[in-house]
Amino acid sequence: MESFSVKSSQKRRLWTLALLAGLALLLPACAGSAPEATQPGEEVAIQAGEPSGLLRIAVQPIVNIDPAFISSDPEVLVASSVYDYLIDVTPQNTLEPRLAREWKVSEDGLTYVITLVENAGFHDGTRLTAEDVVWTFDRLREPGSGLPTENLYSNVASIEATGEFEVTFTLTEPNPFFPYDLSDNHALILRAGTEDANTFSNGSGPFRVVAYEPESRMELEANPDYFQEGKPRLANLEFIFFPDQNAQVEALRSGQVDLVMFLSTDLYNSLKDEPDLVPLEVATNGFDLVRLRSDRPPGDDPRVTQALRLATDREAIYQLVLQGYGAIGRDSPIGPMYTQYYSDETPLPERDLDAARQLLIDAGYTDGLDLVLHTPDTGNRPTLAVVLKEQWAEIGVNVEVVVEPESVYYADDGWLEVDLGITGWGSRPYPQFYLDTMLVCGAIWNESHFCDEEFDALAELAGRTMNEEERVDAYRQIQALLIERGLVIIPYFFAQLGAIRDDFQGFAMKPFPGRSDLAVVSKAGP
Amino acid sequence: MRWGVGAARSIQRLYKEPITAAGVFITFAFLLIAILGPVLAPYGANAIIASDARQPPSAAHWFGTDNLGRDVFSRVVLGAREILLLSGLGTLLAVVSGTFVGLLSGYRGGWLDEAIMRTFDSLLAMPALLLALLLLGTVGQSRNSILAVIVVVYTPIVARVVRSVVLSVKTKEFVEAARLQGETQARILFREILPSALPALAVEGALRFSYAIFLVASLGFLGVGVQPPSPNWGLMVKEARSFAVQIPWAMYFPAGAISVVVIGVNLAADGLRRLLQGES
Repeated sequence: MESFSVKSSQKRRLWTLALLAGLALLLPACAGSAPEATQPGEEVAIQAGEPSGLLRIAVQPIVNIDPAFISSDPEVLVASSVYDYLIDVTPQNTLEPRLAREWKVSEDGLTYVITLVENAGFHDGTRLTAEDVVWTFDRLREPGSGLPTENLYSNVASIEATGEFEVTFTLTEPNPFFPYDLSDNHALILRAGTEDANTFSNGSGPFRVVAYEPESRMELEANPDYFQEGKPRLANLEFIFFPDQNAQVEALRSGQVDLVMFLSTDLYNSLKDEPDLVPLEVATNGFDLVRLRSDRPPGDDPRVTQALRLATDREAIYQLVLQGYGAIGRDSPIGPMYTQYYSDETPLPERDLDAARQLLIDAGYTDGLDLVLHTPDTGNRPTLAVVLKEQWAEIGVNVEVVVEPESVYYADDGWLEVDLGITGWGSRPYPQFYLDTMLVCGAIWNESHFCDEEFDALAELAGRTMNEEERVDAYRQIQALLIERGLVIIPYFFAQLGAIRDDFQGFAMKPFPGRSDLAVVSKAGP
Repeated sequence: MRWGVGAARSIQRLYKEPITAAGVFITFAFLLIAILGPVLAPYGANAIIASDARQPPSAAHWFGTDNLGRDVFSRVVLGAREILLLSGLGTLLAVVSGTFVGLLSGYRGGWLDEAIMRTFDSLLAMPALLLALLLLGTVGQSRNSILAVIVVVYTPIVARVVRSVVLSVKTKEFVEAARLQGETQARILFREILPSALPALAVEGALRFSYAIFLVASLGFLGVGVQPPSPNWGLMVKEARSFAVQIPWAMYFPAGAISVVVIGVNLAADGLRRLLQGES
């Protein structure tokens, strides 16, 4: 037995691993209590005048710098601090003038005349004029450019400088939401003729970049010549890049940063009672959508989808998955955030397991039904999938959950291919986008293959009419129609969550947090 | 005969080695939990009791409930079967295949030995977890792929142990004698040589088992190979990690189960080694 060869070093390693695993468990418990409780300073009256103070923001690293290509929240947040929009959208989704002092639409809804402010300039000292606006939008809509905005502005027939500070947009079809399109995330005004938009060298925004270390940090200082009186109020901004959300939160706790956004519900809950922090919560129209394809079995029988909708307990989902933040959904993408368009006059049918079971039997599934539910691994989607699995099991639907990395779920349009899936939809300032891309017959992202003539007519009307009352009525009918015979389940609208240190004032987080205005934030005290 | 006596003696010995006894006790306790799981668990593994979500440990929920109101005690108990079955079966397969390859490689020698051992060396050069992730990425994620992964990762290690025994035994007189008698190669390998390797194999197998538990849990934690709502302990730790501040029990209990069972199996393997070494 001399050849006996158990490696004791190996064994010791396993021991160490087991012990480390045990120790690792104790860590989070200790980490939470670390920061020293500094007494918040006395309220200091904020005086207009010299900008002062530094705001440090924890964000995910940015990749795109050119405003035409930015997409993530941090990218938009950084770019919109350096550049400016013609029109901005407030946290309440109303329009707010920025570089555009005012805008007028012709009666036929085809011509928009934008009047610019006259005192805006670029960081290099040149004046911002109509020419810059024309150049920027021509670049964004250039056919064949492959830019994300190419399709958005395909309805624009011409853009002309009709004065030094006046731009006229002519459309091919009326678009009542055009001012919102002008405030698209990408529509930051660049200096005409900018050759390399991949630097932050020349914006017109409230801040300018002093130093940028990719994947590490970015320092900005106030633009002393910013066109809006009394802004920005902060002297300095610093973006600190963290790839991991837990690390961002720990940095906030330990005082290394002042502002964190895009928090998961759990991280938000863990910060809510910290003494020096102000929790931030804003309603959005972002939602997770559950849908069964209706162009092939088993979804081609509307009774199957109907049964799934009747078996879904939305209140329980809202409490378990969102823990009471955000809002309960009503299977329509027009959420309560759109106060003027949202309607709850048609009641959503109560959860009814017997009726749901009967529908399945009528559809021929007497022995139950096996379904595979695909979901990306981000946000609350895996949790939603698990809860749905349990709820639907009560009517004999056996769900196998398949959680995939987001990059896999969306790759090669795989998400449109699967029978049953959960898809996250981001918040938009107006609802027409969802109808046109998700629910109209043959729309590019019509996941459920919903197709209804009456719906299409209403969506067309709502998207074209210049009469606001007509639109409100069309949206109301659309919501009733989707409750009656829609094919998607929209169980909830989520809230955006964040936290900021309590010596900062004026910060209003927006439904798309990357569009929050940092120029209005001020710091109290020294 | 030899083994029967050995078994009786080893039970006696357990009284003298409390640490080994503890290891054996833990191992058998978890095996029992795995077998009796559905009887022991007061709730279903995935039963959601929405009104009980996020409850701390209590009489109704011994280990508390998780974010969805699932009973953590039931999930830990019911998760034992999957993790022990996967790692146990995987280890068994790895030991069997490793034994075959090791016997053949060591006995035949020459280019075959060289080819097999160099291939295994290259496999062993890669960290086990990385190799497992690579394999799962290629063959797709399912329970069977996890089994396959355990086999691929541990076969080379077992084969090496067996081969080293073969190398030291194959020149011994009793093997020579069998060969001169004209015994077949299979008979020589399994009747003459294999018994000498059994003690080493038993210890190696027990050790591999504890590693395999760790591997299955790690893969669950990384979210590969198992899909929610499986009560895989690793996956439970992963899911509970983001609530670690509010509902720590949902993370501590499955993590504790991993630690305890790995330590238990390891102690038992250690005792087994000393026992068998003492015998020789």
